[in-house]
Amino acid sequence: MTATTATPRAVEGLSATRRPAFARVLASEWTKLVSLRSPWWTAAVTVVVGGVITFLSAQASSGDPGFEPVDSLSSGLMLAQLGPLVLGVLVGAGEFRTGAFRSTYTTVPRRWPVLVAQSLAVAGFALGTAVLTTVASVVGILPAAASRDLPVDLTAGDAPALVLGMVLFLVGLALLGHALGALLRRTVPALVTALILVMILPIALLMASDPLVAGGDPASLAAPDPAAAPTVVGTLNVLLPGTAGGLLTTSASSGPMDGSPDLGPVGGGLVLAAWIVVLLAAAAVRLRTRDVR
Amino acid sequence: MIEVEALSKRYGSTTAVDGLTFTARPGTVTGFLGPNGAGKSTTMRVVVGLERATSGRATVDGRRFADLPAPLHAVGVMLDARSVHPGRTAYAHLLAMARTHGIGKARVREVLAQTGLESAARRRAGTFSLGMGQRLGIAGALLGDPATLILDEPVNGLDPDGVLWVRRLVRELAAEGRTVLLSSHLMHELALCADRVVIIGRGRLLADAPVQEIVDRTGSGSLEEAYLQLTTDAVEYRTDAASGGAR
Repeated sequence: MTATTATPRAVEGLSATRRPAFARVLASEWTKLVSLRSPWWTAAVTVVVGGVITFLSAQASSGDPGFEPVDSLSSGLMLAQLGPLVLGVLVGAGEFRTGAFRSTYTTVPRRWPVLVAQSLAVAGFALGTAVLTTVASVVGILPAAASRDLPVDLTAGDAPALVLGMVLFLVGLALLGHALGALLRRTVPALVTALILVMILPIALLMASDPLVAGGDPASLAAPDPAAAPTVVGTLNVLLPGTAGGLLTTSASSGPMDGSPDLGPVGGGLVLAAWIVVLLAAAAVRLRTRDVR
Repeated sequence: MIEVEALSKRYGSTTAVDGLTFTARPGTVTGFLGPNGAGKSTTMRVVVGLERATSGRATVDGRRFADLPAPLHAVGVMLDARSVHPGRTAYAHLLAMARTHGIGKARVREVLAQTGLESAARRRAGTFSLGMGQRLGIAGALLGDPATLILDEPVNGLDPDGVLWVRRLVRELAAEGRTVLLSSHLMHELALCADRVVIIGRGRLLADAPVQEIVDRTGSGSLEEAYLQLTTDAVEYRTDAASGGAR
C-alpha cells in the first residue's frame, strides 16, 4: 500500500523536485493575476483618473495667490484610490466567486501559501499601478505650475516623502481590498465593506464631528482652536484604514486633522498596515479551519 | 489508491456522508454511483481535501490529501466544470496550475493537444461550451501525470465523440496501472468502462463489487436495473431507520 506500488511511472522521482514550493505558488498567482483582464482595466482607469483629477485640481488651485503645485499632487488619489481597492477585492473574492478555488486548493492543499502569494502578487501589480499613477499625477500638476512659472521640485521639502507615501497608500489599499475579498469571499459584499470603510465612514464621521451637527456653539467656529483636543469621533476616523492610509499622502509638517491625534504619515501607514495584517490573518484562519465549498 | 474509511460528513443536522468505506485500487476504473444528493461529490471533495471529514478518514496512497508532497503528481482532480475563472484562457489556467509544481509549458501544450483543446487554448474559459469545459477539467487532471485520477461526472455535456474518448482514456489510464475513480449518472456508460462500482444512497454504501457481480447478485439484467433496485432498497431502509427512531 505504498505510494510506489500505485505509481506507474517515475512520478516519485519527479515529485522530489516538483513540489509546490512557495516561489512556484507565487509564480502561479502572478500568472493568474495578469491573465485576467480586470486587473489591467482597473490599473488603466486608476492611472488616468489619478492624472486627470490631479490636473483639474491643480488648474483650479493655480489661481490662488499662495499656489504651491506640489500641494495638489495627491488630489487625484481621492478618486483614484478606488482602483487598487477594487483590484484587490476582485482578485481576493474572484477565486471563490468563480469556483476557481477548487483548482487552486486541490493543487496547493495547504492553502495558506496561496493566500500569501496572492497578496504579494497583488502588491506587485499594485506597485506598478501606483508608480504610474504617481507619475501621471506629477504630469498633472505641470501645466498649472507652468502657467504660474512655478518650479516643480520633487527632491525638496516634503515632496519625496509625499511621492513615496502616495505609492505606499495605493499599494496598501490594494492589499486591504485583497484581504477583505479573501475574507468575505464574495465580490459585492467585499466591495461594499471596502467602500464603507474607506469612503463612507470617514465622511460620516467627519460630518458627525462637525460642531454644528454636534450641537456646538456656532460662535466658537469663528475662532477655531488650532490645538483642539482629539475627540472620540475624530480618533475613530483616523483609525479607519482609508483615513489612516490617507495620512501617507500628507506631509509630516501639516499637523493632525481636526479632532484627531497626530499620527503623522508613518503612524497612518502603520494603522493601515495593521488593518491589512489583521484582515489577512482572519482570511487565513477561515481558509485553514473551514471547508472551501 | 484511494481509501475511504468510515467516512462521515455532516453539515449541521444534515448527514451527507454516513460511515462510508470503500477502496479504489490501482489498475482499476472504479465507478461511483448514486442518486442526486447521495454524497458522491461530497465524498470526492473530502478525498481531495476541500472539505474536512466529520469523522473517519480518506487517504490517497496512504496519506491525507493535504499531506501529499506533490499533489498534482499524485492525484489528478476534475470536480466541477466551474473550477476555472471564466476570464482566464484555457492555456493560462493550465499554466497557472503547472507553475505551482514547476511543470513546463511543453506539458501544458501536451495536455491541451491530448484533450483536443489546442485550437481553443487562447480562448477564455467563460466562452466554452459545457463539453469544452469538461475537456479543460480533464486536461487539468492529466497535467501532473498522476497515479490517481478523480473525475466527477466527466462525460456530462460531452458529445458522442467525447464520451467515446473519455471511455478510452480512462481504460488506458487504468491499463497503465493508475487508479481511476469516476462518478457518473450514466449507467450504461459505467457498465462499459468501469471494472468495479461503488453504489451509495443517502451517504451510505449500498454495494461495492465488480459490475457483473452486482448485476448477477441482484438478479437484474443490467447495471441500470441493479442500481434502481439497490437505491430503492436504500430509500425503504432509510424510512425504517427514521421511523425506528434511529435519529
